[in-house]
Amino acid sequence: MSKQDKDASPQGWSRRELAKFIAGAGLVATLPAGGSALAQGAKSVNLAMIGEPQTLDPMASTADLVSGIMMHVYESLYTWDSDLNPKPMLAADMPKIGAGGLSYEIEIRKGVKLHSGRDLDVEDVIASLKRWMEMTPRGKAVAASVDKMEAKGTHGLLIALKAPVPALLTHMALPSGYAAIMAKESIATPLVSFVGTGPYKFQERRPDQFVILTKFDGYSARSEPANGYAGKREAKIAELRFIPVPNPNTRVEGVVAGQYHFAEQLPVDSYKRIASTPSIKPLLVMPYGFPYFVLNTKQGPFADKKVRQAYQLALNSTEMMLAAFGDEKFFKATAAHFPKASPFHSEAGGAAYDKGNAAAAKKLLAEAKYDGSVIRILNSKQFEFHHRMALVMAENLKEAGFKVQLDVVDWATLVQRRADTNLYDVYVTHSSFLPEPMLSPPQLGVGAPGGWDSPAKTASLAAFNAESDPVKRGALWAKVQEVVYDEVPYIRVGDFAALSATSARMTGLVPMPSPAFWNVDLA
Amino acid sequence: MVAAIARRLAGMLAVMFIVATMVFFLTRLAPGDPASLMLGDQATAADIAELRKTYGLDRPVAVQYVLWLKEIASGNLGQSIFLQRPVLQAIGERAEPTFFLALFSILIASLIGIPCGIASAVWRGRVADQTVSGSAMLAASIPSFWLGLLFIQFFAVRLGWFPVAGYGDPGADLAQRLRHLVLPAMVLGIVNSALITRFTRASMLDVLSEDFVRTARAKGLPESRIVLRHALGNALVPIITVVGLTAALLVGGAIVTETVFGLPGIGNLVVSAVLRRDYPVIQGALIVIAGIYVLINFTIDVIYTLVDPRVET
Repeated sequence: MSKQDKDASPQGWSRRELAKFIAGAGLVATLPAGGSALAQGAKSVNLAMIGEPQTLDPMASTADLVSGIMMHVYESLYTWDSDLNPKPMLAADMPKIGAGGLSYEIEIRKGVKLHSGRDLDVEDVIASLKRWMEMTPRGKAVAASVDKMEAKGTHGLLIALKAPVPALLTHMALPSGYAAIMAKESIATPLVSFVGTGPYKFQERRPDQFVILTKFDGYSARSEPANGYAGKREAKIAELRFIPVPNPNTRVEGVVAGQYHFAEQLPVDSYKRIASTPSIKPLLVMPYGFPYFVLNTKQGPFADKKVRQAYQLALNSTEMMLAAFGDEKFFKATAAHFPKASPFHSEAGGAAYDKGNAAAAKKLLAEAKYDGSVIRILNSKQFEFHHRMALVMAENLKEAGFKVQLDVVDWATLVQRRADTNLYDVYVTHSSFLPEPMLSPPQLGVGAPGGWDSPAKTASLAAFNAESDPVKRGALWAKVQEVVYDEVPYIRVGDFAALSATSARMTGLVPMPSPAFWNVDLA
Repeated sequence: MVAAIARRLAGMLAVMFIVATMVFFLTRLAPGDPASLMLGDQATAADIAELRKTYGLDRPVAVQYVLWLKEIASGNLGQSIFLQRPVLQAIGERAEPTFFLALFSILIASLIGIPCGIASAVWRGRVADQTVSGSAMLAASIPSFWLGLLFIQFFAVRLGWFPVAGYGDPGADLAQRLRHLVLPAMVLGIVNSALITRFTRASMLDVLSEDFVRTARAKGLPESRIVLRHALGNALVPIITVVGLTAALLVGGAIVTETVFGLPGIGNLVVSAVLRRDYPVIQGALIVIAGIYVLINFTIDVIYTLVDPRVET
């Protein structure tokens, strides 16, 4: 039986336990008042997460919840700094790129200890990357371009590519379905022991109750100053307890009452309460994600580019974001798909964004000879902001002369239906913000829902994906963005923020897409 | 008696078979696919097809059904797709909070509902009756999630008497874990007391108008003895029914309350399984819940015969 299984097995009922229960039942009525279940020691923190992670294997799921926990246990060769640029973590330095972007030589840091006590070497890295390329959607996409991976001594790695992968380092740094480096002897499917190199090691998981990570005393930190996820990492708190609390209001009340030291993804209407409670403080991450609408370009009314352009003209993105997120503190309606700090920042094609121009849309619809077919808007109330945006979208479209039908389903149904272009004309979804265009949305790739495929798409993306120079890639992305605004395969509605709250005693937590608790302390 | 019990047990097996069949086909009729959900939006159709094959979801539904029945017959409820552990283990891990929550809730509900129902019947039409009936209606109308949030706000946040949510820190002993159940048990106890109050009142009113009660009064027996011994004893059958059925419902998972209070119980397990279309967990958990329900019903029937020998099993 694995450690995980052993820890998670039901508690037995010995006679002593039974006696304790009887005594406990009597005690309940006389339990002392004052003080909820606060952290037992000064260096333990209770972290309220949005739910139970479906697995602790960082390659078995792309859910942020999984990587948000396991990024403390497993490290990758590269990681993100505060501007979401790749920086070395287990790699000693940035790679030597040669042969026109077809060869990556990576030196692995020496003296890095695995949680088992052994030193990390290149064999662990190769075994982990192979698993990543076999198991994860992004790893598989990279694998298609990999010719071979070779060890060069005990700490040198050569990755030879068949075709350039300009976003290779970003793929490796992405903390979602990520290229976690693990001890080669621990690799199995499913993973039963979690042996990484991170500042925290896995201690215990009790499903629906908690995942506990404890400080790894043998951790080998980098020497550079901390910057985002990059640089020096130090476990200042002895024990991290990730607790699933699916109800957002309960997360708010728990952090207000002091039961949790951190609570993530809180309702935006709780902001005032959090800001006015002295014992806690709000934390905003912007941009955290973006909602987007995927159009069915294969069949139905939106197979016609002009009808899609009319749809785009009819939409008022600011109104939709306001309906979804309530206050401008929590969103930004912007035509640019990437923020100003990004090399991909561009306003190209943005003249068509956020128009809300029903008259112009009507005119375009007449030109397209729109036959009044019903536009089926597939959306889910499971994400309340999706549904609110769908309601505004429907009104915008009706005003422009579209016939509209709202198909409200649960998320599981939506995920299944979006794969069948017979079942929708547009669906509402969202993505985490990612710093590299090819990471999201999937419509920029091949075979994604919506079925977008056109010569302009192929040409612009081929040019973009063949270029390794970051500056040139920025200019080429502007062309892709222009095509997106012209062909309207999807509408990127804007950016939204994530609201979290921390204890006022908590220091060192930096606003990153997934909160990292190394370098965090309790004052 | 033995033959009657054997007949009931055979009936229970038939009920369980029907439940199992309905659960299986209803879960398959619902749209949604666990493989698509598990792999996320970056997965290709080939990835999804591969995962479906791994879990046998690519086979015809009838084949899946027969294989599943075989597994159940051998006591195996299957393997959770998302939790990557046997369904029985997943249920076992969540049984403790659900069991104690149901137990405490039904105790609180009975301690409120039965005395209030008796008082309401005895003082029919008076202030006490109107107060109890009004309160019962209010309790029945309050949504449990709202009452839960109100209790959290008052007893946990403002007064700090109880924890907001969860089931105790790691290493918490039983008394600490039970402390986490006080607020949710109060919520469920209050909400469920309404039905018990109304049933007790109605049942007591029927019995109090019977001839034997009039005879007892004519014989000069004390009123308390007439009400608590003679009338209540005869009014117990419907009260036991409603208490038993309420207990069965609570064991099945007080889904909303468990979610509000972040309790790792069976209700939470079923809800997340439904949202993820984790078929083995949905099917396994519902069968276990149905089994408990059937067993409680059987127990109620046995208790009937003890309370009232005129009732046959």
